[in-house]
Amino acid sequence: MFHRRRATMAAFLLPAIVVYGVFMLYPLARGVYLSMTDSLGGPIANFVGTQQYRAMADDPAVTDALWHTVLYAAVVVVVQNGLGLLFASMLFRRPKVRKVLNVVLLTPTLISPVMAAFIWSYLFAPTGGINALLDLVGLHGLNHVWLGDTSTALYSVAAVNIWMFTGYSCAIFLASYMSMPTELLEAAALDGASGWRRFVSIEWPLLAPALTVNVTLSLIGSLKVFEFPLVLTNGGPAGATDTLTLLVYRNVFGGGKFAYGVALSVVLLVTVVVLSSATSSLLRLRERRI
Amino acid sequence: MTSDITSPPVETRPSLVGKHRVPDRPRTPSRTSRNPLRRLAGGLGTALLSLGTLLFVLPFLFTVVTSLRTAADVARSPLGIPHSLTLKNFSDAFSQIHYGPSTLNTLFITSVSCVAITVIGSLAAYPLARITQHWSTAVYRLFILGTSVPVFVVVAPLYLLMRDLNLLDTYTGVVLIYIALNLPVAVFFYTSFIRSVPADLEEAAALDGCGAFRTFFTIILPLLRPVTSTLLTFVSLQIWNDLLVPLVFLQDPDKRTVMVNAYSFIDPHTVQPTTLFPAALLGVVPLLLIFVFFQRQVVAGMSAGAVKS
Repeated sequence: MFHRRRATMAAFLLPAIVVYGVFMLYPLARGVYLSMTDSLGGPIANFVGTQQYRAMADDPAVTDALWHTVLYAAVVVVVQNGLGLLFASMLFRRPKVRKVLNVVLLTPTLISPVMAAFIWSYLFAPTGGINALLDLVGLHGLNHVWLGDTSTALYSVAAVNIWMFTGYSCAIFLASYMSMPTELLEAAALDGASGWRRFVSIEWPLLAPALTVNVTLSLIGSLKVFEFPLVLTNGGPAGATDTLTLLVYRNVFGGGKFAYGVALSVVLLVTVVVLSSATSSLLRLRERRI
Repeated sequence: MTSDITSPPVETRPSLVGKHRVPDRPRTPSRTSRNPLRRLAGGLGTALLSLGTLLFVLPFLFTVVTSLRTAADVARSPLGIPHSLTLKNFSDAFSQIHYGPSTLNTLFITSVSCVAITVIGSLAAYPLARITQHWSTAVYRLFILGTSVPVFVVVAPLYLLMRDLNLLDTYTGVVLIYIALNLPVAVFFYTSFIRSVPADLEEAAALDGCGAFRTFFTIILPLLRPVTSTLLTFVSLQIWNDLLVPLVFLQDPDKRTVMVNAYSFIDPHTVQPTTLFPAALLGVVPLLLIFVFFQRQVVAGMSAGAVKS
């Protein structure tokens, strides 16, 4: 009886395996194969081995995009989680305003990246909100063409990403705060540990799992960023905000270099998998040591 | 979260357990000192915190206010006090991005995908959680692998596949892609949840002659409600806000979603804020309304991540 039951149970897997296999695993495998051909997206494709990958090494656009992607991710991961942690620890100490401010911080998270980019493209414009605000408080000297200058464009795009997801990081840290054993915190308070001291020796170690989740999520999310640079700058000025995803999109659908675009997407996959698994296993190791 | 974020928050603690916990313990360490200097510092901290939070909503408030002003008024002083309010910008944006039909399209795609992901995902998670054999662990791993695969990696081969299957420009194609993309998260959520529920009840049901189907529908499915609302929050945000999939796979203007229409009809670099902002707000409003209504579940869902049992 139990044997038949188990067979029925296994059959529950069928729909998932079919959809996932056909529309995820098969395209994934086919993508890896296509990256080793000279396909233009049509029926004709010759196997060319590692030719596409070798071409990348001589393509400065690729090395630049790879660098932008990694730099962008690093900035987002550090600033977003730093701010999220700061907000969470302050909110935890202020139960009266905690709930309201947490929800307020989460509002940008609900907006779509396209819409967030719309709003910020105006705020960053030469006569837009940020420069007007700087004028208003008398800091006219700080006025800047935020998205038009190669030295600030990438960071400006990253700022929008940070603006959108700081509330999310904060919510995860705050949830971790709320699950801390009260006895421990009370004991620390009785021993006179307060402020910074309590944070360093009690809260920070207890936040380790939340940090792992936050860093991993924001890392994966920012490595595959697409809508922000697409809408805000479309890779400009002078390629300063070109990311791997933009290159993939442009090559695959822009015409002519289909297989090259697919090969770039494989590079993106490898980057995401290597960086995210390395980071999360390092952080897990750290969790165990604490 | 761009979209972010197709990787799931780590294990969700079953709220079965949570519900029966001792109600609200004091969650903040008691203040031992009532020293006035400290209170002043505390007050200052709260003020700073509120100011910081305000900075995060300011762009949003600014968007709302600017949307209600006339173009000439905004041009005169971008940050000035509005002299007159108008709804004309909204009605312009409404027709410019074909708001009515495109919202219905988005709603249709999002809801069909969500239902399918929930059904297929929970069905698959049951055997994955309960059968402990080599093959089932391998299948589970294969699903989890999908959480770190960006859409970009499969978008080109998917395009060829959809073309061969004649599914380009169809809702079926887009929905199938969304199911495949989000199944890993669903399988992950449901499997870790079911694993945390003791199997006693199901074993008893089996002894009473309950088949796998009946056990699933009468025992497992009702238990999944809390984790489902978390999952739905996550998945519906992803799908509603997505640009890439409908941009690539739906070329027919009548089938396009809000995000695609907004993206293709509005160029942020040449367009006035009074056109840009209402369009941005219109794209967000339906979701925002739903989430204001379900605010508590949303916040719980989004933060479920860190609480690891």
